Amino acid sequence: MQYGYTQQGMSEAANWQRLGQWFCFRALPAATGLLLALLLATVSPVRASAVVEGNEVPGAGQMRWHDQVSGSYQAAVTQQSRLDVRIAGMLAVVELEQVFQNTTQAWQEGIYSFPLPEDAAVRHLEMQVGERVVIGKVREREEAKVLYQQARAAGKKAALVEQQRPNLFSNRIANIAPGEQVTVRLQYVQTAKYSAGRFALRIPTTLTPRYIPGVSRAAPAAAEVAALAPAPSGEYTGWAPPTDQVPDAPAITPYLYPQPGSDSAPLNPLHLAVELDAGMPLAEVQALYHELSLARDGQRYKLQLASGPVEMDRDVVLQWRPVTGAMPRAAVFTQQVAGETFGLLMVLPPELAPQQANLPREVVFVVDVSGSMAGVSIKQAREALALALRQLRPADRFNILAFDDSVRPLFAGAVPATRHHLQQASEFVRHLEAGGGTEMRPALERALAPGAEAERGLLRQVIFITDGAVGNEQALFELIQQRLGASRLFTVGIGSAPNHWFMQRAAQAGRGFSVQVGDIGEAAAVMTELFARIAAPLAADVSVQWPQAVEAWPDRVPDLYRGQPLVQAVRFVGALPAGEVSVSANLAGEHWQSALALPAQPGNTQHDGVASVWARSKIAGLLALKTAGEPEQRIREQVLEVALAHQLLSPYTSFVAIEERVSREPTAPLRPGIVPNTRPRGQGPQPYAYPNTATTGPAKAFLGCFALFIALLVHVMRRPEQDRV
Amino acid sequence: MFERCRSWLLIALCTLALKELAGAGLIYAKAALAPHLMARAWAATQAEGGVHKPWPWADTWPVARLRVPQLGIDQFVLAGASGNALAFGPGLDAAGVEPGQGGTAVIAGHRDTHFRFLQHLVPAMSLSVELPDGRLLQYRVAESRVVDSRQPVAAPSHFGPAELELVTCYPFDAIRPGGPLRYVVHAQPAGAEWQAFSPLSAAQGVIPL
Repeated sequence: MQYGYTQQGMSEAANWQRLGQWFCFRALPAATGLLLALLLATVSPVRASAVVEGNEVPGAGQMRWHDQVSGSYQAAVTQQSRLDVRIAGMLAVVELEQVFQNTTQAWQEGIYSFPLPEDAAVRHLEMQVGERVVIGKVREREEAKVLYQQARAAGKKAALVEQQRPNLFSNRIANIAPGEQVTVRLQYVQTAKYSAGRFALRIPTTLTPRYIPGVSRAAPAAAEVAALAPAPSGEYTGWAPPTDQVPDAPAITPYLYPQPGSDSAPLNPLHLAVELDAGMPLAEVQALYHELSLARDGQRYKLQLASGPVEMDRDVVLQWRPVTGAMPRAAVFTQQVAGETFGLLMVLPPELAPQQANLPREVVFVVDVSGSMAGVSIKQAREALALALRQLRPADRFNILAFDDSVRPLFAGAVPATRHHLQQASEFVRHLEAGGGTEMRPALERALAPGAEAERGLLRQVIFITDGAVGNEQALFELIQQRLGASRLFTVGIGSAPNHWFMQRAAQAGRGFSVQVGDIGEAAAVMTELFARIAAPLAADVSVQWPQAVEAWPDRVPDLYRGQPLVQAVRFVGALPAGEVSVSANLAGEHWQSALALPAQPGNTQHDGVASVWARSKIAGLLALKTAGEPEQRIREQVLEVALAHQLLSPYTSFVAIEERVSREPTAPLRPGIVPNTRPRGQGPQPYAYPNTATTGPAKAFLGCFALFIALLVHVMRRPEQDRV
Repeated sequence: MFERCRSWLLIALCTLALKELAGAGLIYAKAALAPHLMARAWAATQAEGGVHKPWPWADTWPVARLRVPQLGIDQFVLAGASGNALAFGPGLDAAGVEPGQGGTAVIAGHRDTHFRFLQHLVPAMSLSVELPDGRLLQYRVAESRVVDSRQPVAAPSHFGPAELELVTCYPFDAIRPGGPLRYVVHAQPAGAEWQAFSPLSAAQGVIPL
C-alpha cells in the first residue's frame, strides 16, 4: 500500500471496496456459474423424459380413440360443418351441413354432439350418401330411437338427431363404410335479437364442458361397462356417469379434442356464408369473432369467411345496426301455411332517459370461479366485475359471492359502497382464480335469500357472472323462480362458448335480461350498458290487443327493459284480419299506447319461417310451465302435438332418416366413432380441474441463477486493454 | 462509456438475480416453516375440535395429518386446494369428500415442496391419515398414473369405497409452473381387495404407468 498508514481510513475503505468488488464480480458469479452448470446438468435429462411422456398422451398429435376390442388405437370419424345463413328482416333460415368422414378400415357409427342457438326451430333433416338423398321425418323420441336401432342392426344407413338440451343436440349416423363420406343437412329458423340499437344473430359452434353435480347413480363398475360398450346399448358415451341430479349426463358431456384448435389447421372446420337482407338501410355490419369479407348489392349483403374455413371453437356472432331513424318502431311479419296464418310482431317502446332521482339499491354480484372458467373466461369475469364495481354509487349497498364447490362471500352481508369497501372488493376480485366444481345451487340460494335489506325497501339486483356450464339447468331455473321475490336477476355470459340457453332462461326466470362478454375488450361497453339499462325505466304491464282471437306465445309479455323490443308470435284462428294491433304499456308511471295496421295483402309479403318460430315459441312456452309445477305428462302431450304438426325437433321428438337399402353385412362389426368437439378458444377444458400444484420456486431460482450467470459473462468480457493496465 | 454501461448492466443483473433468488427462497421458507405453526393449531383442533387457524390472518387451517412411515413423511393437510393454502402445505380439495367418507378424497400438494415425495410412492406402500376426531385411516397405494388435466375429468366420486387420491404436478423436475400434466397416486383403504386399474382410464386420456 503506497499511501501508508497516514491515510488508513481511506485505504481501509478502498480495501472493503475491493473486497466487495471481488465478491460481487468474481466469487459470486463463479459460484453461481457452477451452481447453474450443476442445475442444467440435472435438469436436462428430466426435461427430455418429460417430452417423451408428453408424446404418449393419447391424441396429442392426431386424434385417435383407444379401441377396447383390438387393444389398438383407431382413427376416429371426422366432421366438417357448413353454415348457410339467409337473413330476411329479423328471421334467419340456416342450413347446417355436417359432413362425416370415416377414416378407418372398419364400419363406424358416427356420434357427434353439437350446439345450436337456444331458440332454433329445427324443421328439416336430410342425409346424403353419394348421390342418394334420404329425407328425414319427425317421430316421437322413443319411436325414432327404435327405428334407428333397427336400421343400424340391419346394416342400413341411418341418421338420428335428438335434442338433449334446447341448445345441445346429438347426431348419430349408423353404418358409415370404411373411407366413406356421409352428409347430414339440417335446416332451422332462428330470430335475430334486437337490443339497444342493433340486431345480433348468434350461432354457437362448440360447447364448454358442463359440470355434472350430484351423486353418481350407477356403481363405478356398471358405469365402466356402459362406457365400454356404447353402441349396443344405444346410449351416449359422455365422460360423466349419470347422477341423481343429472340422469342424462352421458348425453350432454361429449368428449373434446385434448389439443386446442387453430384456424390454420382446424380440427372441426367450419365454412360460413351469409346473405343478409335486413329490409332497411344499414349503418354497420360486422362479425364479432370472425373475419368476413363483405359484398354489397343495395340493401343486401353477402358475407363470407375472409380466409377459408375456421375452427369451430367460438360462437359466430353477426351484428348489424340500422341507420339512425331507419328502424321502424313496430313491424309484423306474416306467413300462410296450409290455410293457417302466422304472425311475428315486434314493437319497440320509446326510450326514456334514466330517472333523475335514482333509488338506492343493493347489488349482489355472483361470480363463477369454477374449473370451466379457467383460461380467458376468468380474466373476462374479473374485468367485468372490476368494471361493474365502478358503476356503483355511494348510496348503494353491495356484496360479492364467488363460488365453485363452495360459496365464498366477500362480506357477511351487503355493505355500503364506500371507497374502503370498494377497495377491498377490487382486491378480492384481483385474486379470483378458477378451479373446482360448479355448485350453483348454494350460491343462488344465498344470493336470493331475502336479508334485512329487503325491509329497507332497496331495489335488489343480482348480477350473475358465469359461463353457465352446468348440467342441472332445469332445477336451477325452478330455484330462481321460487326464490326470486322482489329481487331481479341479470346474467352476464362469459367465455368463447357459454351456455346461452342457461343465460336466457335464468334471466327470464329472474325477470331480468342477459348480456354477453365474449372478449375482454367488450367488457367495458357491456357492463356500462348493463347498468344503464337496469337504471332506465321499464315498460311494465305490456298488453297486446289483436283485432281477433289469436293464439299468442309468449302468452304473457314480460317487463321490457330499455332498448328491448316486445316480440310475440301468433297464430290467427281464421284468415288474416284487417285492422290494427294495439300495444299498451305502463312506462315510468305513464300510459303508453301504439297501434300498427296489419298488412292487407298477406300473400305478397310471405316471410319464410314465421310458422316455425311460432311453433318453437309455443314449445318453449309450454316447457316453461314445468318450472311452475305443471305435470309433465300434460306438457308432453301438447308439445308432441305442435312438434309433429310442424315437423320440429323438441325434447319429445327426434328426426330420423333411414335408407332402404342395406349397405353393411350384419355380420361385419360396427364400431362407435365418437366425433370430439373442439375446446372453446382460450378456455380451460374441464368442469372439474385438478388444482395447480407447482410453485414458481424452481423458475425463480433458475432465473436468478441465469441472471447471475449472464452477469458473470458480462464481467468476464472486459476490454483487453483494461486487462493490461 | 462502455465501462459505465457495463457496471449498470451488472448492477441490474445482480438486482434481478437477488430478487428472484429471494422470491424462490421465500417460497421454500414458507413451505418449510409453516408446519411448525400448524402443529399448535392441530393440537388445538384435536383437543377442542372446530377450526383453529395457525395464525390469526390465515385463510386455511389443518384438517388432517398425512403420514408415510416408510418415507418418513409427516405433514399437515390444510383446508382447500387453492394456491394460498398449498403454499403452506398439502390441501384437501373441497370438490372431493372428507377422508374416511364414502367416495374419493383428493389431497393436492406442490411438486416442488411438500408432495415431491409422491415420486417415491410405489404400490403397496402404506399411508395413514389422522383426522381431528382421533380416527386413524390406513391406506395402501394402489397405483400411480399421469393425467393430462386438459382432458375433461369427472369430478371425484362422492360414493363407493373411501379412497384417497394424492395429486401433484408432473414432471417432478420441470422448471416452469402451470404445466398440464398431473401425477395422481391412488390409494385404497388398507385391507380392501386390490382392484386393478380399469382400461376405461385409457379412453379418458389417462396413461397407466
